[in-house]
Formats: sequence, C-alpha cells, structure tokens
Amino acid sequence: MGRLLLVYRLAVKDLRYRPAQAVLLLLAIAAGAATLTLGLSLRGTTDNPYARTRAVTNGPDVVASVFPGNSNASGPTASVKPGGSNTPRAGAGEAAATPLLPLEHASGVVAHSGPYPVTWTLLQIGHTTGSAEVEGRNSRSSPVDHPRLMQGTWVRPGGVVVEAAFASAFGIHVGDSLRLGGTAFRVVGTAVTAAIPAYPGTCGRPIGCFLVGNIGSYNPGLVWATEADAEQIAGSSGPEAYLLNLKLNDPAEARTFVNRYDASASSSAPTLYSWQDIRDGDAQVIAKVQKVLFTGSWLLALLAVTSVAVLVGGRMAEQTRRVGLLKAVGGTPRFVAVVLLFEHVLVGLCAAGVGLLVGWLVAPLIDGPGAGLLGAASAPSLTGATVALVVAVAFAVAIVATFVPAIRAARQSTVAALEDSARPPRRSAAVISLSAHLPAALLLGARLVVRRPRRLLLSVFSVAVTTSGLVAVLIIHARSATWSLGPQVIQATTIISVMLIVLAAVNAVFIAWTTALEARHPAALARALGATPEQITTGLSVAFLPPALLGALLGIPGGISIYDGARSGGGTTTLPSALWLVAMVVMTLLVIGVLTAIPTRIGARRPVAEVLQAETA
Amino acid sequence: MQQEVVLAMLAKEPSQGSQLRFRLDRALGPLGEAINDGQIYVTLGRLEKVGLITRQLAGASSADRKVYELTPAGQERVTEWLSEVSWPKPDLAEFHLKLIAAAAAGLADPIGIVDMQRRELLRRLREVERAAMAEPDHSDAGLLLEGIALRLQADLRWLEACERIWTDRRSK
Amino acid sequence: MGESEKALVRARGLRKEYGSGEGLVRAVDAVDLEVARGETLSIMGPSGCGKSTLLHLLGGLDRPSAGELWMAGRRVDRLSERALARLRRYEVGFVFQAYHLMDELTAQENVELPALLAGRSPGEARRRARQLLDQVGLAARADHLPSALSGGQRQRVAIARALANEPQLVLADEPTGNLDSTATLEVLRLFEALHAAGLTLVIVTHDERIAATADRLISMRDGAFVDETHLAGGTRGNLADLAGLGG
Repeated sequence: MGRLLLVYRLAVKDLRYRPAQAVLLLLAIAAGAATLTLGLSLRGTTDNPYARTRAVTNGPDVVASVFPGNSNASGPTASVKPGGSNTPRAGAGEAAATPLLPLEHASGVVAHSGPYPVTWTLLQIGHTTGSAEVEGRNSRSSPVDHPRLMQGTWVRPGGVVVEAAFASAFGIHVGDSLRLGGTAFRVVGTAVTAAIPAYPGTCGRPIGCFLVGNIGSYNPGLVWATEADAEQIAGSSGPEAYLLNLKLNDPAEARTFVNRYDASASSSAPTLYSWQDIRDGDAQVIAKVQKVLFTGSWLLALLAVTSVAVLVGGRMAEQTRRVGLLKAVGGTPRFVAVVLLFEHVLVGLCAAGVGLLVGWLVAPLIDGPGAGLLGAASAPSLTGATVALVVAVAFAVAIVATFVPAIRAARQSTVAALEDSARPPRRSAAVISLSAHLPAALLLGARLVVRRPRRLLLSVFSVAVTTSGLVAVLIIHARSATWSLGPQVIQATTIISVMLIVLAAVNAVFIAWTTALEARHPAALARALGATPEQITTGLSVAFLPPALLGALLGIPGGISIYDGARSGGGTTTLPSALWLVAMVVMTLLVIGVLTAIPTRIGARRPVAEVLQAETA
Repeated sequence: MQQEVVLAMLAKEPSQGSQLRFRLDRALGPLGEAINDGQIYVTLGRLEKVGLITRQLAGASSADRKVYELTPAGQERVTEWLSEVSWPKPDLAEFHLKLIAAAAAGLADPIGIVDMQRRELLRRLREVERAAMAEPDHSDAGLLLEGIALRLQADLRWLEACERIWTDRRSK
Repeated sequence: MGESEKALVRARGLRKEYGSGEGLVRAVDAVDLEVARGETLSIMGPSGCGKSTLLHLLGGLDRPSAGELWMAGRRVDRLSERALARLRRYEVGFVFQAYHLMDELTAQENVELPALLAGRSPGEARRRARQLLDQVGLAARADHLPSALSGGQRQRVAIARALANEPQLVLADEPTGNLDSTATLEVLRLFEALHAAGLTLVIVTHDERIAATADRLISMRDGAFVDETHLAGGTRGNLADLAGLGG
C-alpha cells in the first residue's frame, strides 16, 4: 500500500513539474474522448422529436404507395426503364391510384387520408438548383397527417408550402418565388410532417424517391402544392406516385400490417411502410453524423497515442537518469516505468472525465432533430455503457503509448540506465554520406532528424492520420456539393476536421520540440564549429518536410479507404478534385515547416558554452 | 660520476674506454655531453687502483686500445649495488631556510625569491620538454628526460605551495 | 586606436559574471590580455579559476558580461551570432576539455564536419580529414566511432577537428589531459610544428609540463591574472645538473 502511495506521489509530482505537457496531453486525449462521447450519446436523440411531431400532426401509422406505369422505385434514386418514360397514361389520376383503395378499408384501419399525387421535379430558387418531391394536397386538415404550419398559410393556386427543414437548408422564406419544373410559384408557408422523413432524409424510406436524369443529381425535399398545380407540374405523363396515409387502431401493429399487405414484388401493386420506417429515416441523418464522429474519434485517438508516444519517448532518456536518484528509495528502472505508466493513466482518466463532460454538453448543440421535427432533442443519454467505453478507450490510449518505452525501461539493467547508454542516437551511414553533398543547413538538419528514426515514423504517422481524415472529409464534401448531406453532417465534419488539424499541429510541435531538445548538444557543437543559429533552425524545419510530404501523400489513399470502409451501401466514391488535394498537401508542408521552426528557434540562440557545459555536468 | 655506474657498464663484457663512452651517450642522449672523457678515465683509474677492475692491452701499444675487465671482487660489488635501494637525496631544506632567513632578516621578499626560482625552473622544464620532443619515442634518453621533467614538476608544485603560504602570511 | 597589429587577440577589462547580489560569481574578473600573432601562450591555474571560461570568451562561445575583445583588429564582443559563427568557422579552432565529438559519426566524419560546414566539397573535406588524422597518428582508426576509441584517441580526434579549417588561432582546453606521455609528446610535437608554421595557440592547462612548452605562461587565480612568465629566453642552469650528472 505504501508503495502504491509512493508511486502516486511521484507521478503527481512529475506531472506538476511539467504542467504544460500534462495539460496538452490531457487535451489531446480529451478531444478523442469528447468526440466519442458525442457520437455515442447522439443515439436516439431524434426519438422524442419524432414522437412529438407525430402526435401534433397526427402522423400516419402506415403509408401505402403505388407507382403507376413504371418499375418499382425503391432506394433513393432509380432510373427509368428504357422506353418507359414520359408515355402519356390514359386515365391518370384516380384510376392510377386504384390499387390503393382496398387498403382504406382493410382490417385494423380506422382512418385514412389521400391518396395524394406525388411528382419529383427540378427546383430553382434564385441561382440555386435542387430537386423537390411535390405532393398535391388541397386541404391541410385531414384525419391522418395534418401538417403543422410553422410559418405562413397553406397552399393555394400558385402558392406552395415547403417542408421546414428543406426551407431552412436552402434558405427559402415565405414570400420567395421559386420554379418547380419550370413553372413559377410563390412560397406561402413552411410546415412539418411526420408522414415523410424531414430533409435531408426525405428519400430515406423504403420506397425511396423516383429520380430521373437531372433531378437525380440533387437530394429532394418535400413541397406541398394544390392538386391542380401538382398535376400541372407532373405534366402529361402524370404523377409518378400516389401516397395513402393510414391510421391503425393499434399503432404497434404497423409492421405486421405492412408485412400482410406489402406487395412490392409486383410493379403496380402497393408498397407499404410503417411509421417506424419513417422514424428511422429521420434518424438516418443522426446515424450519419454518428458515423462521422466515430470514425473521427478513432483518428483522434490515434493522434493522441502519437502525442503520448512522442512525449514519453522524449522523456525516457531523462527518466533513465533519474533512476540513480530513485535507487536510494529502492527504485529500479522497472519502478520508473511503473511511475511513468501511472502518470499517463492518470492523465488518461482525467481526460476521459473532461471528454465525457464536454461531449455531454455539446451534444444538444449538434442540431439533432433540425428544423424538420418539433421540440428539443431528448437529453443526450450518458449511459453507463458510454462512460465505461470512453474511460476504457482513454485508458487504452495511455497504456498503448507508454507500453513500449516502459517495457524497454523495465528490462534494462540498472547499470546501463546509469551509464545512459540505453539510447545512443542511431547512426545512418547512408544519410551521413549523402548529406555531405548538401549545403550546411540541410546537412545538419538531415543528420539531426535521422538520429531518432522512431520519432520520424511517428511524425509521418501523425501527418498521415490527419490527412486521411481531411481527405475523407473532402470526399464527403465533394459529394455534398450536389447531394446535400444536411447541416448536421457538415457540422460534424467541420468539428472533426478542426480537431484533427489542431491535434496534428500539437503533435508537430511536440515532435519538433523533443527533437530540438535532444539535438541541442549536437546543435551547439555544430555552432561551435561554425554553423549559424539560422542554419540550425532552417535545417531542422526543412528536414521535417520530406516525412510530412510522405505522410500527406499516404493520407490520400488512407482517406479514400476510410471513406469506403465507413459508409454503407454501394456506389462509387467521388474523389475530391486534384486541386483540393494539392492545396491540402501544400498547406500541410507549410504548417509543418512553420510549427517546427518555432521550438528549434527558441533553442538555437543560447550561448554555445552554456549548452555544452550543461551536457557534461 | 659514480664509480659503481662505470663498474656496472663493464658487467656485460670487457670493453674499451671508447665503447664505454658510446654506451653512456646512447643512454643519456643530450645529457651525455655533460660527461667528458677525462672523467671516465679518472674513474677507471680509481677502480683499477682498488682492484675492482683490471686493464689489459688489446694488442697495439696506444692507450686507446686498453680493455677493461671486472675482477671477481668487482663482480660482487656490482651485484651488491644492483640490489641496493637507496635513492638520491632531495635538497629542499636549503631553499626552505633561504626563505625563512630572508624574511626574518628583512633582506629580501620571500615571495620574490619564490617567483624568481619558479621562473627559472619553468624555463628549465621547457628545455627538458624540448629535448624530449627531439628524442624518438620509447628511447632511453627520453625516459631519463621524463624523469627530470616529473621532478621539476613536483618542485614547481612545491614552489606554488610556498607562494600560497607566504602570501597568506603576509596578508595576516 | 593605434595598437600593435602584431596582436591577434586583444582583451580589455574582460568580465564574465553569473548570478547577482550575494550569489554573484566572477568567473573572469577584469582580464587584460594580448596574444601576439604566432605566439604560443599557456594559461595555468587551479580548477575553478576561470581559465576555461576565459577561453570560451576568447573563442566567441560565450558573451562577456563586460569588457572589449578584438580579434585581428576587429571588435568581436558585440558581434551577432551569425558573425561569431563565421569567425568560428574560418578563424578559430577549439579543442574542448570534454572533446565533444558527435557519437554517431566516425573519427573521419567528425574531422570532416567543420570543412563541410565551411562549404568545402565532400572530397576535399575527406582529404583534409585524412591528412589531419595522419598527423595525429590515427589514420588507422579513421572509421571507428568515438565509443570504440580510448580517451586519448578521442582527444586527438578533437585536436584534428580543430585544425580542419586551417584556423589562425587554436584555443585548447586541457588538450593532453587524458594522454599518456608518448601521446602527449606527439601532441606537443604537433603543436610545435603548427607554431613553426605561424599558428597562434592558447593552451589552458593545469599541467606544468605542458604549460612550460609555451613562449609565455600566465598564471590565473579567482578569475584574474596573477603572474606572467616569458619562457623563451634560455636558462641559467645546466640540464645535466638536473639529472645528477656532472661534478
């Protein structure tokens, strides 16, 4: 027990001796922990808002749809069967919706509304183009699905109502004019409904959306219009689908009902889906956000491991010398390793606490339900499982990073530790002979940087992880230019990008700083032999650029595989433009160059004799 | 020139005077100049007189061809001498008393005396070192010169101590 | 100021102080010094007397707290770091007491380094290094790392390195501290050869035997000069007397 107390006291004293390092480490691990907490606690945050919307708008329990004259439209996009488009259908309208009518009186159904005609078309407002799902509905009041007006009034000839989240995302206000399918309309109101997932999840329901040609380039949002206007927009080919809203006497039976009557195999028979499917559609956005946050927190954890590893590696050298002092209290290199491990576990646990707190506080701000659902997000759930997982991850980060140096220290004999022959700098004959041909600054930089190959690898790794994350974000945004993923996902990717860049910058500073510290003796010696401080600073900064370049280049395939691995569903991955990638690589090099210059510059100006004397003391 | 040294130099084999001269020069290097031929022959004469060596003619009549040889008594004396452990006496007392006398009588500043002596010894040390540098490595003469240098160094250190003590005394 | 052009190094009132108030330490206390071109000067004193600090000041490795320092007629105590570095590159060679060799470079590479930093081609630097290692008797160990060399061998590598860029002035801090008498003599012969070639040499040592080989010897105590001896004149005595010969 006394020994444990001693370890604790030594660990705390050590941390207090270097508060800046401890704080930075804590922030690095806390960033990952906060992101993870955020991701975990977002689960289910849309449940309550959906329930509230459903209650207020009297949302349907089951929605039945039929797509007259065309192949099944399942999934977000579907292309038209050859020869099947734009053929005028005789008897469009009521006749086309006939397959739905029997459902109105099926057993268990207590109310219905519709069938309403639905068309997908291009939307133009100002200079922005998008696509819209237009539902024709003359009256707002109906026994099932009673959209709640947020602003303005309901549809009238020439006047349309836009779904609230769609309006918010595109900046559409009451009074704006827009074009649907080429025809001009005026926006007279915005509303929310529980019958269709809110934008950007409109197509996230089992039937998906029926998108043809140009319309398919955009993620559609819901717009209500009068039936007459809707038919005019639909054109000669008529509405592409009809939707029927059903209310059951037992909402819990919705899925059973769907299974009984769903006949999606046949092209003209109705396809049904339940209110749970709509709720899940609403939740899809949050699911995407979660995925971004989880992937991000993995990357941040890797960066945090790198931070810890760099700092621990840099300090092992000085720690081994302390062994001589600890021997007096019966300490050994193994003891030192235990203290070091304990220190970092302490930091990790505190970081987990900070991360949990931050994540819990920030979660409500992640615009969970968005404008398309009523009410506040349910309080983010900080379940026991979440807490346990975050603590375990923080713990693991601390252990993994400290593991290797701690083991090495434990195995070392005391004599070797005292002689400090433990880690002589690595000699690279190739670099030494090649660098002889370089100008003085680069010669010194190359030789100094290569003394610690492990740290060089860590620097490549850190840059590679960061650029992978950034490339994945760029890919997401390359898609989002057209197929908008919604503000929440954009928010999440922005947060992740910022944190990645900040942590990578912290790592770059750590690495440069530990390198400069370790290099101060050879640097002072080089100055005694005639090198200027500028040559030392320039040399070291430039020497860190090739590894940074390698890391940045590795990040490109890295980011692509992260994106591929993280998203579900097929389709191709759109690569971000070469311009963006080049810009990212160049910015990386610039930032790394500047960040490494700062710590090296600070050390390069001390009088030479001081540094050399200190080393022999 | 100690008699036993010449005796010992004849122990290897009977030699002529000139051969003795040659061996001494080789062993002493530049310091060999200090010994003139006359001293060698005088010593040889004395040794012959007390019966430790004998002299024979090598053939021709000139004095140069005389060959000297150890007698059994001489041999015994050499063996005895080789096992003796007496060491040349240092002579510090004279200088020490010089300082005290000068201070007591007020005739001269002891520190001034010490400084002058120091300078002289340093210059001598310089000469010794220069002579040593001119010798090939591991030579006999080099070894002798090192011995001289080390003793000079020891003396210089003592002189520094003298200076320190006498300076302290003055300031009290 | 009309001073002698023969003086390569001039110091006036040179001071180096550490700490303040009660804890003030005067490592170098108002030192005036002139070193003539081509002269060999030795500075002797007990440990802690400030002779190493003085040498660091002369070599531009540390800045004086007060005083003036000229080298080859140029004022150097106020020079920028960059100008000082250039001075060290071309004009001054330093031999440290602790050698300060780079552990990961071989003897050859250590000696090449100053030449490379001065912009010489790798081939030239290598040739010069080979030649210098030969002069100090370490040609056979050119490819050894410092960890594989004895203390004396490392010392000789450090001396060779100080000579790499053909400096005008060599400052040596205990250059024979770890050498046996044979190696010491070799180094002294080397210094003698450099002296004959016109090199100016300042040696700090606590060994009287080394100090005595100089042209001039200065004794230092508590940061100040206390005595100066010119050694180049002859002696009054007889070498043979010292050996117990003669008489």
